[in-house]
Amino acid sequence: MADLIITGGRVIDPARGFDETADVLISEGRVKSIETRPGGLPRETTMSSDTKTIDAEGCIVAPGLLDIHVHFREPSTTHEETIATGSASALNGGFTTVCCMPNTTPPLDSAEMIQLIRHKSNEAKGARVFPVGCATIGRQGNYPAPIEAMTKAGAIGFTDDGDPVDDSGVLAKVFTLLKKANRVFMQHCQDPSLTKGASMNAGPIATKLGLTGWPRVAEEQMLERDILLNQSIGARYHAQHLSSGGSVEILRRGRQANQPVSGEVSPHHLLLTEEACDGYDTQAKMNPPLRSKRDIDQLKEAVAQGVITVLATDHAPHPAVAKNTDFESAAFGIVGVECALPLYIKALIDDNVLDWPELLRLMTINPAQIAGLDIMGLGSLAEGGPADITIIDPDLEWTIDINSFVSKGLNCPFDGWNVKGRSIATIVEGEVRHSRSQERLRT
Amino acid sequence: MGDMLVTAWDRKNLLQLEGLTRDELIELIDLAQTHLDVVKRKEPALKTLDGKLVANLFFEDSTRTRCSFAIAARRLGAEVVDLSTTGSSVSKGETIVDTAHTVEAMGVDAIVMRAKPSGAAHLVAQSVQAPVINAGDGRHEHPTQGLLDLLTMRQHLGDMSTRTVVIVGDIANSRVARSNVHALTTIGAHVRLIGPPTLVSKSFESIAQGPGSVIVDHDFDVALEDADVVMMLRVQLERQAGGNIPEDYRELYGLSKKRASRLKPETIVMHPGPMNRGLEIDSEVADDASRSVILQQVTNGVAVRMAVLEMLIPSS
Repeated sequence: MADLIITGGRVIDPARGFDETADVLISEGRVKSIETRPGGLPRETTMSSDTKTIDAEGCIVAPGLLDIHVHFREPSTTHEETIATGSASALNGGFTTVCCMPNTTPPLDSAEMIQLIRHKSNEAKGARVFPVGCATIGRQGNYPAPIEAMTKAGAIGFTDDGDPVDDSGVLAKVFTLLKKANRVFMQHCQDPSLTKGASMNAGPIATKLGLTGWPRVAEEQMLERDILLNQSIGARYHAQHLSSGGSVEILRRGRQANQPVSGEVSPHHLLLTEEACDGYDTQAKMNPPLRSKRDIDQLKEAVAQGVITVLATDHAPHPAVAKNTDFESAAFGIVGVECALPLYIKALIDDNVLDWPELLRLMTINPAQIAGLDIMGLGSLAEGGPADITIIDPDLEWTIDINSFVSKGLNCPFDGWNVKGRSIATIVEGEVRHSRSQERLRT
Repeated sequence: MGDMLVTAWDRKNLLQLEGLTRDELIELIDLAQTHLDVVKRKEPALKTLDGKLVANLFFEDSTRTRCSFAIAARRLGAEVVDLSTTGSSVSKGETIVDTAHTVEAMGVDAIVMRAKPSGAAHLVAQSVQAPVINAGDGRHEHPTQGLLDLLTMRQHLGDMSTRTVVIVGDIANSRVARSNVHALTTIGAHVRLIGPPTLVSKSFESIAQGPGSVIVDHDFDVALEDADVVMMLRVQLERQAGGNIPEDYRELYGLSKKRASRLKPETIVMHPGPMNRGLEIDSEVADDASRSVILQQVTNGVAVRMAVLEMLIPSS
């Protein structure tokens, strides 16, 4: 007997190449069966008076979307975001799983801190939140964090995100420890010696505005160094928020040499250029910075060719005051999870870079594998697996409005954009945790 | 007399020279030209801004510019209130906005401001109703300096379109250079930016629009030959610690007596002040009345600031 049936949707599971109109039957938090409908209606036998249904006709039924790069600010700066508001915000954007970064105060650099996040996540009942632990103690870049203990506590990966692990000797130790723990290292590629005081892409606009430029090579040379350093160690390595077209070739060479390296992009690096900073618009201040049209083209090509295999958000909420200041003092970043899906549709599907199954692959199974969450069945939609499902209306037209965000952060340069495509229901463990379309839901 | 000239001007603020049209630039310096006799005390002060109050809001050390704006306001009949403060408590952008709000709440008709962050004047202009005049924001622009330089050049050389202006020094960190680049290329002049390669990047060649052009080069001796104007920038001695100012700066980029002797007879020498005599410019050159127009720039500065205040402060 099913608790919930999602009827008549286009069910896409990129993990096993499934793409058919089908009904998805859910029981006790798991996918009971996926039944294709050669003759029309679902079998009556599977229905009972207790069964809820969601009419998914015209919609895409996908594995729950997964974002391996968010900042939920807990502990400490909880006026910016919390696990509760962040994970609710993720549900509103169609994400069932997110991985939160450890650059909090104090940072997530111990087993106890990892356990704290797991606990907060279970309490929140939003999207699942898995912590990424600090690679080094205090994010200071000097000594590796207790990686084995943190792994046992539930850290799914390691990073000093917000800062790179710059010191080669320290990084080699981190790689070695991660190789044994079989966890991924996520690098924030930024050579700090090349970005002192920098606030936007190095180029004519930074020159004109009198701002210190942030060159592409700051990202590229760290990526190149890391891949070389990891060559003999072979830890799983993931480059975060790539911004430079030049990084693509470096990543491509690493992957062609069969090194376990991957990379992600964020929506803003595919849709905005450094020109958005003109007039000192602090909403366009990002780390790494917005680049040029050429970089966008190269990043899109990398996505199309399978060099970049993960679409993330780098969701980074800030209070208004952090952006309402001069450009160099303003905070970096953008809130991402609530508008990432339509922005990726705009950047990649509307521009014929990817089709729907490919787009979903980069937002489900690919990030799940990097975070090692595929072992739990996350990132796919298979019989017997966890019923984490996102129902997407690909044609729903709407306007991004920061005031409607569930996130505490309002910092988003996409405010006011007219977009297409949105999640209409987000289901975690068989439970409809977010629904936008009451008329489709029958209980 | 000003009233007849105020035609195209519909801007609330003067934040930068980038984006101003040729007509707007000329309108401003034409108006400034008419005020010169007042500045030189050949004519009595005006009453155009009688009863108005101008706030000088300086978050960064300045003697000359602050003084120049104060005199300009007084020559128009306005009162001036000085809220200059350079302590560390006002180093953050949000505090600049708070201070501007406070000043506005006291009832001022215009805010003249200088601050360390590039874009500080934009930030304040977004937050207050009063007109904002940028008296220098970080490394971005110093629009009234650009205007007074343009007026000074025109007084000596007439129409500046197709003329060649050589600007020498720490271009990267210079708001004076940026304002001059925008004004001059809009008018149609050719600008050559000369400085150590670490202090002037090629990207300057693409920042300006308009009929003029910008060329970045590092050889002062070559650029000297066809200069109509040589503008020497102040070496920021405090930046030397960063290793950006080379040891041989004077030798490579200083306007020595010997270099000045190779200039065309009609070429003028400018400097926004204050000068490091013996470093970027030799005293013999700075004080050579046949080409140095440095004090004339100062006089023109008052006239230009009168024109800007007049343009931006609505008459009662």
